[in-house]
Amino acid sequence: MMATPVVETHALSKSFGETPVLRDVNLKLFAGRAAVLIGGNGAGKSTLLRILGGLSRPSAGRVTVFGEDSLSLSHQSRRRIGMLSHQSWLYPNLTARENIEFYATLYGVPHSQAACDRWLDQVGLLAVADERVRSFSRGMEQRLSLARAMLVEPMLLLLDEPFAALDPDGVAMASGLIRAQVERGCAVAMTAHGALQLDGLELEACSVARGRLVPYGEESRGGRVRSMPGR
Amino acid sequence: MAAEPSSSNIADSTGASAPAMARLAPWLGVATLALMLASLFMVFEYVPTEAQEGIVQRIFYFHVPCAWVAFAAFGLVAIAGVFYLWLGDQIWDDLGYAAAESGMVFCTLVLITGSLWAKPIWGAWWTWDSRITTTFILWLLYGGYLMLRAMADDTPEVARFGAVVGIVAALDVPVVIVSVRLWRTIHPAVLVTRQGGHGLEDPRMIATLLVATVAFTVMFAWLLMLRFAQLRLRSRMKELRRALALAEASAGDL
Amino acid sequence: MGSFAALLRKDLRLELRSGQSTLALFALSLLILVVLVFALSPEPRDRAEASAGALWVAMVFAGMLGATRALLSENENGCIRALAMSPVDPAMLYGAKLAAAFIFMTVAEAAAVLLVVLFFNLDFGPSLLRLAPPLVLGTLGFSALATLLAAISGRTRAGDLLLPLLAVPMFVPALIAGVKSSAAALAGAPFSAMSQWLGVLVAFDVLFVTLGGLLFEHVIGED
Repeated sequence: MMATPVVETHALSKSFGETPVLRDVNLKLFAGRAAVLIGGNGAGKSTLLRILGGLSRPSAGRVTVFGEDSLSLSHQSRRRIGMLSHQSWLYPNLTARENIEFYATLYGVPHSQAACDRWLDQVGLLAVADERVRSFSRGMEQRLSLARAMLVEPMLLLLDEPFAALDPDGVAMASGLIRAQVERGCAVAMTAHGALQLDGLELEACSVARGRLVPYGEESRGGRVRSMPGR
Repeated sequence: MAAEPSSSNIADSTGASAPAMARLAPWLGVATLALMLASLFMVFEYVPTEAQEGIVQRIFYFHVPCAWVAFAAFGLVAIAGVFYLWLGDQIWDDLGYAAAESGMVFCTLVLITGSLWAKPIWGAWWTWDSRITTTFILWLLYGGYLMLRAMADDTPEVARFGAVVGIVAALDVPVVIVSVRLWRTIHPAVLVTRQGGHGLEDPRMIATLLVATVAFTVMFAWLLMLRFAQLRLRSRMKELRRALALAEASAGDL
Repeated sequence: MGSFAALLRKDLRLELRSGQSTLALFALSLLILVVLVFALSPEPRDRAEASAGALWVAMVFAGMLGATRALLSENENGCIRALAMSPVDPAMLYGAKLAAAFIFMTVAEAAAVLLVVLFFNLDFGPSLLRLAPPLVLGTLGFSALATLLAAISGRTRAGDLLLPLLAVPMFVPALIAGVKSSAAALAGAPFSAMSQWLGVLVAFDVLFVTLGGLLFEHVIGED
């Protein structure tokens, strides 16, 4: 049985100026499944996620999200996309709770104190809920950003390095949250620098190498790709 | 595109617009030259001297066409901006940019010729007469647009920003005209002895003005086309470079 | 409407916490007025005209700083991207940013009016209330213009320089109308002397609020 993909890209390419960042990417994401895009710095993973989220426009090719063109997503579709970027997208002078409340209101999801508390509790920040984000460490910011991305009840979740800056506790917490999202039927795409293992979750891994999407483990076939892991 | 001459093969591989314009440009240049010579003859030989202002008034036949072209060019910038935001095709951005640059030339000419005329007639190089002020504001708006293009050159969204500024500025112009007119009628300057009112009673004056207007409009079209064709080629080159970089990267995979 | 209120509440809360924009606006207004007093002499021949002019100069230049600062909080952690991705309509986003800028500028201006009264020895009376219509309309127009343009200039090199280059020429009609109607208000002229200027201000406001709402999505979008 082949379900309709949540996200589908057709011959997607992206260049910044003259520099190609993504080349001929064909990708499908399905509801209730998680994919990991593996690649080194500058491989194009983040750019790919941003294009899938409709934040950046492809130079060539087409991207459909929930059956719509990613450049003209309806309100309904945008409401169902959660994204974690490498920037936190949090207001430093608001408290953790105020940030959560703010985004919940924007997305029209329950933003009662109880609902916000539940999210803060899940990411282990309830004790510092009323402290300003400015005083947070990078890891705490990452936890709060995860809550921000997931509280919108997404059907498409785009996570750029979800485990960055997290302590082992945080990694376990984040994997649990991601698994819960997949189980409720959300399509998840995340990026990582190397192979990932999440307990109880089957991951489809592919590599992004020099702007191309290849099955994981086959990226070295081209020979030269491997030699530039830290570009 | 095999039928095209070899010299323009690359530019023709997708769109023929740039070389087509490049071929049209010389003809427009010739037309400009002919029309300019005709209007020079008419301005200096054919048209009678205006009774009140004397010989200086003849600059009017250059001044007014320049003003018309400057305002029209700004309208073109805004229209190109609307189409760019609507269709997202680079050609509209190139057109808007070319129109702004060419328009700036004529807007500057309006201010210079106006100043040359004002000195003997009004006794000062510069007065805050409503029309001068409006033109000056137009010049500043053009300046802002061109500064944006220069300063945001490395921003990928520069075309969009240019379109937005071009649209906003052009729609601001009517409000500028109204407010400046009210401003000057409420405080009439002593220097302004007659509010414009160039009585073109002689039909030869009208004929001269018409020929000069056509001449300047054709000259604008010529300059616009040259710059437009150049910008088209630049965009095309960027595209080719991008495609080349893409091809090189793909070749590296093998 | 929930998201508009949330956006505005967020901006006001941030502002109450730091007081950055309003304070910076007021401080700059104060300095500009001081400079103008020295430049014009505190007892100019036409006191109403000079003080109205000073007030508007302070408003334009302080307002530019305010508009830049109002977008700073969105740029700090990339929040503007979160807003661009959110289901909130860009026009609504623009409206909320415009409303916030308008409130900050109005507060700073109220203080600037008091300074002008003090510095130029104006009568402290009900005639000052007549300044409200031109100032409110002018501030609305300026916030509308500056919010749109600051979103552009904030994303370019040397944006601080670019904003005045774009904003000042566009603001000219509102500036003329604002100075003229403010001077009339301070000189105690009848309302009819102000009405045509207020008409120009209204036209300016309608134009720029509409354009900003329509075009904002293009200035926050990325390629």
